[in-house]
Amino acid sequence: MLEPSLDLYGSTFDSVDGILRELLAKSRARYALIIDRKGFVLMHARALWAPRPPSLDSFATLVASNYAANRAIANLFGEEGFKETVQQGAEVGTYLEELGAEALLVTVFDSTAQLGRVKVATKQAADAIRVELENATEAPPDVDFDAEFQDGATALLDGLFGTRDR
Amino acid sequence: MSTINFSAREINFKIVYYGPGLSGKTTNLKKIYEQVPAESKGEMVSLATEDERTLFFDFLPLDLGKVNGFKTRFHLYTVPGQVFYNSSRKLILRGVDGVVFVADSSPARLRANAESLRNLRENLLEYNLRLSEVPFVIQANKRDLEDAIDMDMLKRVLDPQGKVPFFEAVAADFDGVFEPLRAVATMVLEKLAQKA
Ligand SMILES: Nc1nc2c(ncn2[C@@H]2O[C@H](COP(=O)(O)OP(=O)(O)OP(=O)(O)O)[C@@H](O)[C@H]2O)c(=O)[nH]1
Ligand SMILES: [Mg+2]
Repeated sequence: MLEPSLDLYGSTFDSVDGILRELLAKSRARYALIIDRKGFVLMHARALWAPRPPSLDSFATLVASNYAANRAIANLFGEEGFKETVQQGAEVGTYLEELGAEALLVTVFDSTAQLGRVKVATKQAADAIRVELENATEAPPDVDFDAEFQDGATALLDGLFGTRDR
Repeated sequence: MSTINFSAREINFKIVYYGPGLSGKTTNLKKIYEQVPAESKGEMVSLATEDERTLFFDFLPLDLGKVNGFKTRFHLYTVPGQVFYNSSRKLILRGVDGVVFVADSSPARLRANAESLRNLRENLLEYNLRLSEVPFVIQANKRDLEDAIDMDMLKRVLDPQGKVPFFEAVAADFDGVFEPLRAVATMVLEKLAQKA
């Protein structure tokens, strides 16, 4: 049985999506993402007015690694982690909340938003998402990642490199 | 463990390139980046020092396309090989699905290869993983060196039991770069198929 890293599907997915949108509306932030600690994007939402985001893969990888490095720094001093992870540039900033042991909630905002509001809204959203995840009861959809899947994926991989002559 | 995103219908795998300093890990990713068509790759992110030594990691996402309706992706990472960057190496191994060990064929680096392999074993244990349980292949890189070490010798040192797939490579010329990636990817997919 395959366990997805967070139970984000079915009605839980819809509720969490709603929470992310509310977070954007309340905080006036640009984007809100749920990222797993390995660096993969699990969900994301973008405010209607926000510019096109940069590569979300790069963003997620860097956020997850940065979080892991910060935690390792905290550990050096006998701390489990740092309580607040805020980054602020001249125009854009990010704010991060943990979502259990597996995932992170990150809000990206610009100078039109107030940091205080972003923090409060992100914290509230994180609490609401935790509740949704605790109450999730739906089983994951049934998908077979069987030998047929394996063959299909391998063929595509060969295709990626197949254009060159060796 | 692979990350499955049911709502986005995506399955993601994490492959890590490991090995001693200067063995050619970053070169592998750069060459893969050069070879793969634009629509199948994302940006390559490199956190490196001024002199191009990896400081934290390199990252390259590969997008295979859809299999059984699932977007299938491999995220490739390298670790910094230099001994004193061990805390970074440890962090990069979180959630690893497969490892390509890039060994250096220079005779002077034989011991460094062995030490890096031991270090990999130790760091995996931090995540309660044994190397024998992780899809794992070895790339003997820099086969173009005039004094490249004998393959048998390298195998005896890195894999005395003869259980690990070996690939000879000149990564700088994209020779033997794809084969170990394909092999480890196949092993990762096989492991997934067994669980399904
Ligand atoms: N002769 C030879 N040199 C190579 C080959 N592949 C890589 N190199 C060279 O080896 C040097 C180190 O390569 P990198 O890819 O940066 O090594 P690395 O393993 O990422 O090193 P760290 O980041 O310090 O761990 C560079 O000068 C490469 O050009 C090869 O196949 N043959
Ligand atoms: Mg490197």
